[in-house]
This record gives sequence, structure tokens and C-alpha cells, in this order.
Amino acid sequence: MSEPIARRNLVGEYRIKATRCSKCGAVYFPSKSFCDVEGRGSKMLDVDHFYDSGEIYSGSAIYEPTNRFVPLERFVSAIVEFKNHDIKVPGRITDFVPSDDLDVKSLIGRDVVPRFRRMYSDGSEGLIYYSSHNFSFKDDYYSCQNYDVVSHSGTGGKAGIVGYGVYIPKFRIKNDEPVSGVLERSVPFSDEDTTTFSVEAGKRALIHSAVSSSEVRKCFVGSESSPYAVKPSMATVIQALELGEAYEGGFFSGGVDSQFACKAATDLIIDAAGLVSYSVFKGKYVMVIGADNSQAAQKDRLDYTVGAGGVALLIGCDDVIATIDNYVAYTSDTPDFYRRDGAKYPKHGGRFTGQPAYFKHVVTAMKTMLKETGYSTKDFDYVASHSPNAKFPALAAEEVGFERKQYDTGLVVKKIGNLYSGSSLAALSAVLDVAKPNSRILLTSYGSGSGSDSYVLTVTDLIEEKRRRSTTVKEQVDSPNVSYVDYQTYRKWKELG
Amino acid sequence: MSLLKSNPCAAIVGAGRTKFTEQWDEDPKAMIGKAGMVALESVEKGFKRRDIGACYFGSFLYQVTNKIGLVHGLMSRELGINVPMVNTEAACASGGLALFNACLGIQSGRYDAVLVAGFEKMSDRQDKIIDDLMFAADTHEFESGYNFPGLYATMMARYIYDYGNGDPKCEVALAQIASKNHHHCLGNKYAQFSSKGDVSVEEVMSSKIISSPIRVMHSSPISDGAVALIVTRPEIAKNYTDTPVYIMSSQEATDHISLYTRKDITSVMATRLAVKSAFKETGLTISDIEIAEAHDCFTIEEAFFLEDSGFYKKGESWKGIYESYESFKGSKHIPYINKGKELVVNLGGGLKADGHPVGATGVRQAYECFKQLRKEAGGNQIDRDVNIAMCHNVGGTGGVATVHILARDI
Repeated sequence: MSEPIARRNLVGEYRIKATRCSKCGAVYFPSKSFCDVEGRGSKMLDVDHFYDSGEIYSGSAIYEPTNRFVPLERFVSAIVEFKNHDIKVPGRITDFVPSDDLDVKSLIGRDVVPRFRRMYSDGSEGLIYYSSHNFSFKDDYYSCQNYDVVSHSGTGGKAGIVGYGVYIPKFRIKNDEPVSGVLERSVPFSDEDTTTFSVEAGKRALIHSAVSSSEVRKCFVGSESSPYAVKPSMATVIQALELGEAYEGGFFSGGVDSQFACKAATDLIIDAAGLVSYSVFKGKYVMVIGADNSQAAQKDRLDYTVGAGGVALLIGCDDVIATIDNYVAYTSDTPDFYRRDGAKYPKHGGRFTGQPAYFKHVVTAMKTMLKETGYSTKDFDYVASHSPNAKFPALAAEEVGFERKQYDTGLVVKKIGNLYSGSSLAALSAVLDVAKPNSRILLTSYGSGSGSDSYVLTVTDLIEEKRRRSTTVKEQVDSPNVSYVDYQTYRKWKELG
Repeated sequence: MSLLKSNPCAAIVGAGRTKFTEQWDEDPKAMIGKAGMVALESVEKGFKRRDIGACYFGSFLYQVTNKIGLVHGLMSRELGINVPMVNTEAACASGGLALFNACLGIQSGRYDAVLVAGFEKMSDRQDKIIDDLMFAADTHEFESGYNFPGLYATMMARYIYDYGNGDPKCEVALAQIASKNHHHCLGNKYAQFSSKGDVSVEEVMSSKIISSPIRVMHSSPISDGAVALIVTRPEIAKNYTDTPVYIMSSQEATDHISLYTRKDITSVMATRLAVKSAFKETGLTISDIEIAEAHDCFTIEEAFFLEDSGFYKKGESWKGIYESYESFKGSKHIPYINKGKELVVNLGGGLKADGHPVGATGVRQAYECFKQLRKEAGGNQIDRDVNIAMCHNVGGTGGVATVHILARDI
């Protein structure tokens, strides 16, 4: 496909956009500029199906795909009916691998949810094509949630987290035996990557916060596994989530992809908080996303701790669920873990990544935070830290003087693996999922190369009202629909992302 | 007394074709040249190249698959003539639409005689033809992972779901169509699978699955081939042959390219509309049609034809197919039977067994009917006298359909 065709198509495909006749209500997908019934005199309104659910009308299990879909090997393509608008659209069923003897008729009538996924790519050097014409079963791992904007109080105040969204893929691989406390890890499906994680996490953050996407005017995506060396995932997120005021196919918002190993996202939380407190920045919210299809060479020690997924925070000053009270950053040029441009996998210094790297920076940031704020360890209800494994964050916290009950809630790495840029944010999310109003949280990230950010957050009363709109980490970890894959499948799917 | 009340719009006076198979050493223009020369030579009272007033070609993938364009110029050199030429692309209906356009040219009074030729050379891109065929589908369908069999499989799955009533005979019937068409091609020396022998229903139902519920033996093959016709004004047809076959009606209808925007995917509206127009023009009904060449790119499409043409009621063709196949006692053509009326479909094996060089198919259907009505079909000649035939050619999954009604004695 060519770049101009890609641009034309994605405008509709990212959100399954259609047009509706203002007179008779007839809906057209693909969009039309006039109504077949009412003619050209009727105004056509945009509608989309990004947050809707549909129903399989019919389909086929494709065992010999066209060349562009060969990497996916086999899948179901289907016609999906959106009954709310009386339209049908084509799509591919994702998170699902048909068996040899699948009776596709058994899928007719099943409810499905649109998912933002890769369709295919033009080889390893060409464009990657995404769309929401991918659907997973509604009664499976990924549930459908409404996105209802609630008008905010407009009271303003200290910047903080307005909402958050966590996306962990459906698939897992178990370690034969725990590796530094990691029991099992999340695995991307064959059509997932950092950009799709970012969109899904951002979608959930919008749903949770209930703020209007048009008021989000900045988006940061921190990752060390961006699908492109040059072309920001951020722009795809803005287009898919419609962040900022819409204008001629684009949006009045900005952002950047950032890279600082596993703290590429947390480093920008303070920048986001600064922006929403700054009058020249006209937006009310900034979205900060940490996402990774965490990379590891085959059979490397990291290959038994890496996971996949993403977390998005919406930072603002109105209706926050946790205020951002204090911030400390500590950096040194420590070459413990790195990946040269063009290299496929990161290299690391083995035990050098421990004491002189992770522990030195994390412990320094934590201790400095205590010193600067005057808090003692007992003043914190929760500690959430970057988790390359389950051992490091526990040892670091204990070295500073925290107890297990303070950091245990955030140790989700045991069941989802190391999400790299999303790791400390996944730990924070697990804490926010259960924290009560007035709880105090110490968030500390770590990024190789090296640095640590520490934040003090205080939970507000609003957390309980917004919790009903969240998809918690625990729900995803304990879902009965989690599906386990073998090592070969895990490697194959990870390589595709 | 003749059933035919209307006047013909054109007449076929000569026809030629190549064998349908993988023709590795042929190029498209040479295939057309060979089919065209056979067609010219088949005209008993003589027909010269200089008698050709215009040429109507039909082909689908020549630009992508064969890396050629401007068929007009290619064929001008190949045939050694400089007359007006039109090339039609309408996916699998390219041939049928070339014939439709030729009829318009004749009816306009501009031409006395024209050459109609359909061709396709699919084997030039074995590794990519599965992608190329998706040019006949909607881009959103392509980008949803669909291949072309998958689209028909989606129609088939819904048909079985809506009308099969959970009866396994429905799926058996859709396999019997393939078995029947392979049986029909046994005497057709030009057919791709003429030497394969009979194919049992069990073989069809256990063949390799490619896009569930469609198996490889529900599907027409990848083929190379060309077919040509000499078409004239009906008033002068007997100047060329004593037994012209008249085209009583030539119809085209269209519908959305995309399955998902159609109201119903268990039938083909373009077929229904074209059939309706053809019957309206001729005053005939489906009961008057004795033989038909139906578009069976996948067996479900032949079932759709039987319903869209009115031979069976909507949703009930599979019952008729099953009963007709099971009750057949003869040895040659297996007719469909409904309330005592017989309709023999795809006498030379159809797309399934004769082969499906996409752009050639619509012209091949007229060739087959021409030969059958003139009793020149050789080993696959129907064993009774027939006079009225229908050709049904579909493009894509039903984005376009052509219907022609042919008759010998008017």
C-alpha cells in the first residue's frame, strides 16, 4: 500500500467511522457524503464505533491467508453487525486462533468488541497498518466499556492523576520455576505491539477519567520498543483516541515519544503536571503512557522475566484521584543496559545491573524523597516501584526501611512480568485499584542508563467514585479467560510485535 | 409454436477456445489469437478477419498478473487489424460483460459483426494470485484478512445457518454440486479436469479446508485460457451459418462490491435483477430454460443461481440439489429437478471442473451453450434436443452479474 492510501484509510479505520443522515438516520460505512434516500440535501453526521460492541453476522476461518496476513498464519475474518446503527463492517477476530475443525457457524451471533490492532506491515522496513477492524469476543478476556464524559468540577487545584488505564494482553507464559520471583508473564498476541498497547491503555484511561478526549492536548508515549525508529506512536494514539480539538482530519494537540529505558514515561509525569498548571498550555489534560513489548534475546536471562502491556495516566488539575505532591529525580551515566540503533535486542551488564545501577539509583531517589519531605517510611501506605523482577523492588524497599505490606500490592510483576516503561506504572495502578482516600503512595521508577524518579502521591476521595469505571490489574491477572502459550508461540508472537 | 416472442439482439455464428489448464508457455495475446482463429475458422460459410467490425475483450488481472496493458494495441498487432476495440474488466464477469458490450455494439447498428474474446493467464503469479483476486473485493474486506474463498465461505456459512435447519444434507448438497460438475466435464476435452475422473461427495467433503466452510474441492481452480465468439447482427447471421445461435436477451445488473453493505448475503441481487430483466425482455420464465451455464466459482454460487433464477425457492435449493443428485439414475448429465421440470446446469463442468480463467469464463459459458444448442459439444453433448439456454456470469461476490438467454430455433 502507499503512504497516501494509508492516510486516507486510517482516518476511518482507526475508529470504524461512518456517516449518518441527519434526516432519515440511515448510517453508511464506509462513510458517504450524501444519503441514498434523502439525497444531497441532507447533512451527513460523523459517527464511530470505537467504544461499541457488535455481533458476528457470519465469517470464515482463513487457513491460507493472503500474503500480507501470512505471519498471522490462521484466523477468522467476519462480518460484524452494529445493531445500534444497523450497519455491518468487515473485521478480523483477534486473540483467537481457530482450530482445524472450527465450525464458523458456531460463532454467528457472538458479541464482539473492536480492538485497535496491527493489520499487517509492508515488510520489516515498510509501513505498519493499524485499525479497529479487529474484534475480540465480548465474553472473553476484554470486556466492552462505555465511554461517557462527565462534566468536571472545574475547581482546579494541585495537579494529579485524573484517571488511568492498564492494558495487559490476554496471553501468558509460565516459567518452569520462578525466576527472581516471576511466575508468569504477559505475552502479546501476534497483532499487538507497543502502539496498540498504548491506544488500549489510553482508551481505558479516558473511560476511567470520564474526561473529554478533546481536552487532552498533550500525549507522551514512553517506550523502548517503539515499532518505528522514526515515526511516533504518540501520533497514532492521538489519531485513534482523538486527543485534542478535531480539525481537518487532525487534532490540536502535541506530544512526543520518549526513551529512557524503563523510566521513559515516569520522567514525564512531572512535565505533564507542570503543563496542566501552566496558563500558556491551554489544555486541561496530558496523557502519559508507558508501554512496551519488552524485548529480550532468546534464552537470555531477561527472556524469563519480560512481559508486555501498557499503562496510561491522565494528568490534570480537576477531579484528581491522587495529587502529585513531591518529585525527586536522580541520574548518572551508568551503562548497565542498552540497545544500539539497529540492534534487535538490548544488552546488559549482568550483575552490574543490580547494585551499582538499579539499587543505587532507586534507593538514592527514595531516601532523598524521605529527606526532602520529612516523611518517614511509616507515613506511606504503599510503595510502587519499577520491577525488573519481584526480587529487586522488594530488596530496595526493605533497604530504605519499608515493610512487605507496603510494597506487596505493587508486586504485580510476579504475574505479568516486566513491562519495562509500563512496569512502575503497572505497580502504581495495582495500588490505585485498591487504595483508600488519603492513602500516601511512594512511586519510584528506574531507567537503565541510568536514573530514578520518585513521586509522592496522595489519594483523594474521588478514587472510589471513579473506580467503577476501571478495569483493574487484578481483574486482568486473575481473569479466567487468560490463555497460556508455549515458549515457541511466545517467541513467535513477541517477534512479530 | 415457438416460445420466443421477442426479437434477438445478436447472433453467435462461430466459436473457439483453448483448453483450460496451466499453459506455462503461452502468453495472453497468443491464447486469444488461437481461440480467435478457431472461432473464425468455425464459421461454415466463411468469415474473414476483415469482416470484424470491432473487438470486445474481457480480462481481469492482465495488468497485475501478466504485466501488460493496452490490450487494444496488443491485439491489433496480434490479429493484424485496426478496428475499434474495447477491453472490459469486471472481475470474474469480465467475459460476460464483454459479450454484453458486444451486444450493445451490434444493437446500436454500428457494427455488423464483432469478435468477442475473454482471456486470463493466472499462472504467471502463482505466489501472489491469492492476493490479486482480492481486487474483486472491497478493500476493507481485504484488510480484514479476507481472501476470496473466505468471502464466499462467509456467504455459505450464513446460508447454511439461515436455511440448513441443522440438516447435514445441506452441506452434502453443496458438495454434490462439485461432484456433479466434475462428472459433467468427463467428456469435455477442453476441461481442466477432464482426465481426473469422477469425484465423490466424500472426496469433496474431506478435501483440504482453505477458508472454512469452503474446502478446496468446493472451489474452481486457477486456470489459463481464452475463448472467442463471432457475433453478428441477427438479420445477417444466416449469411455465415445455417445454424446461428441467437442471443435473445443480454442483461447486466450491479450491486455493492462489499458483502457487508448488502442487505442479504445469502443470494446475489445482481443476478436476480439481470434474470428479471432477461425474462421481461423475452417473455420467458425459468421453466422455459432447458440448460444453463451458471457461475460456480464456489459451489454455493451455483446454489444461489438456482434460487436467484427462480428454479428453486429461496433457501430451498439445497433440498432440490440433494434430491436430484440422489435420485439420478443415468450416466451422463445430472439434471436438477423441481416439480417434474428439469434444468441441466454446467454441462461442460462449469467453473469448477472445466476451469476458471477468470476473464474467459463468461465467454466460455456462451461457447458451451452455442455448442450444446448446435449439437456440437462432442463428448459432453447433452443427450436430448435443447433449444433455450441461459448463461450466468458473476463478478466478485456479486458486484456485477450478466445474464444471457440463447436460443437456436426462433
